[in-house]
Amino acid sequence: MVPLTLFLKVQLRPTGIIALRALPQSKMRTALRYVPPTTLIGAIAYPLLHISGNRGETTYEKKNFKSKAESVMSLFKWVTIKTEGRPKLYGSLLKINTIYRGKVQSAVTSFPFAVFYGDSTNSLTAAYFVDEDVLSESTYSTKDLERASWGITRLGSRESIVSVEDVKKGKVQLREANNVKTAYAFPFKGVNVQGKGTLQMVVDWRSGIGDYSNAKRMVMFYPEGTVEVQGRLSIAELDGEVVVLAP
Amino acid sequence: MFLSVGVRFEANVEALNMVETAGNYGKHRRVPYLVEEEGKLKTVYVPAMSGESLAHAYQEHLVREALSAGLPVCDDCQRGEFYKSMNKVHLKKKVDPIPDNPKSIEEAIVKACVVEDVGGFLYAEKPPVRRSSAFQVSYALPVKSVALFATSEPQLHARHAQMDASSKKGNASEQMIYYVETGTALYGFTFNLDLDAVGVSAITSKPILDEDEIKKRREASLKALFRMLSSSQFGAKLSRFFPVGGITELVVAATDYPFVVTSPIYDDYIVKTKKRLEVLRSFGEESFLAVAGEEKVPEEALKEAIDYLHEKGAF
Repeated sequence: MVPLTLFLKVQLRPTGIIALRALPQSKMRTALRYVPPTTLIGAIAYPLLHISGNRGETTYEKKNFKSKAESVMSLFKWVTIKTEGRPKLYGSLLKINTIYRGKVQSAVTSFPFAVFYGDSTNSLTAAYFVDEDVLSESTYSTKDLERASWGITRLGSRESIVSVEDVKKGKVQLREANNVKTAYAFPFKGVNVQGKGTLQMVVDWRSGIGDYSNAKRMVMFYPEGTVEVQGRLSIAELDGEVVVLAP
Repeated sequence: MFLSVGVRFEANVEALNMVETAGNYGKHRRVPYLVEEEGKLKTVYVPAMSGESLAHAYQEHLVREALSAGLPVCDDCQRGEFYKSMNKVHLKKKVDPIPDNPKSIEEAIVKACVVEDVGGFLYAEKPPVRRSSAFQVSYALPVKSVALFATSEPQLHARHAQMDASSKKGNASEQMIYYVETGTALYGFTFNLDLDAVGVSAITSKPILDEDEIKKRREASLKALFRMLSSSQFGAKLSRFFPVGGITELVVAATDYPFVVTSPIYDDYIVKTKKRLEVLRSFGEESFLAVAGEEKVPEEALKEAIDYLHEKGAF
């Protein structure tokens, strides 16, 4: 019997602006155009930890400081996102005048962010594939995960507020395929793609999300609309849509 | 408990969020809107206010509410300079010598300042200590359906110096012209406040303060929001560019766990928020919703929310 995997399909509506820092440890304020998987893990970690009564954000192990979101990372086999509408990167120049330690200082900086505006619905649909073996051994239940999905408040910075408009849950069968059409972001490795989209280097969350300094990177393809993907693919069909998973 | 507020406000001839200056031209913050016209996308730039600007205003109100309730606020925050214990120089004003472990550093900061407790901080030294803000604010952006009516228009101003031939020296100018770009739009923004985060450690997850102090701080943080919205005291240049208009609609929801109202930049935000709150009932969760529009003023809706939270024992 082929095992089925629990999925959560979460429809998110942005409040207009999504600010995703591409280099979290740099003063250089570059932004990502599309939402990376690490942000999706962080987004659901916040309400999930809230439900369990855990307010922790950072864990300290000697000289290693890690995001508490890493504690829920293993609950997921794969996470990805579908982006409707083409986000635009925009950066304002900010002039800052401060009175700092008795001296007046002036500086100019910029704050780029992705803007999700347009005539389309501008919705973002996140797909979470749950590792039910890990879930059964954790303190969380399926109901907790579902409630947490409704409780996602933001993607990235505190200004990037989103509202969850719908959550669907169900079971999917993971299987192999050679040729599929998908609108969800997928790893750009060993595949041929026909259609428009954007390549974006992101942190491979499976290697850990607590510390990005030595984290592995992977290239994700973010489709513009639906694209055709060919290769030796691992896929899941949820609610009539195909998601290509990591090899 | 978690509070989420969606606000729609009309602002005419406002300069609430100025950014770039080029010579004598002060530019309003703007964001791009993508508009489809005859099958092609075109970009229109519309006026906006950053969440940082709104967050700054909220924290200024929080300072006043905290002080009036006899709660501690550090010297930097009292001056409206929200450095948030970013380095040793600022932290030493709160605790000296500085402890070498993160828990003690967080405890010292939270005990010393309500603003850093509620608004979070990042101590960027060794060891770094981070506390996320308990409140979140979106950008204030034009309501989508009427966004194309939003305008950014420069207004010409002049400063004059009284001079006669004998007092004129060098190239001193008798007048200086300058432009202030003003925006006009129906804006919408979202504000969230996580009351459970107040006074609780972001490292150990245990309360840092006693229950009475936590409740006082929660009340101050709610009053600060009430005052900011009721008084329209947010944004820049209010002394000469106080916007003509005011809050037109407001929706406020209170839930046990995080929940965000649908953004008021969408026309269906009240209906959607109501429907989504009904879903939470299936989780056995109580919730509260108040809407201010034609029949109810924003202050009434906010007051109802505060009363609800009081009844639930939040403060």
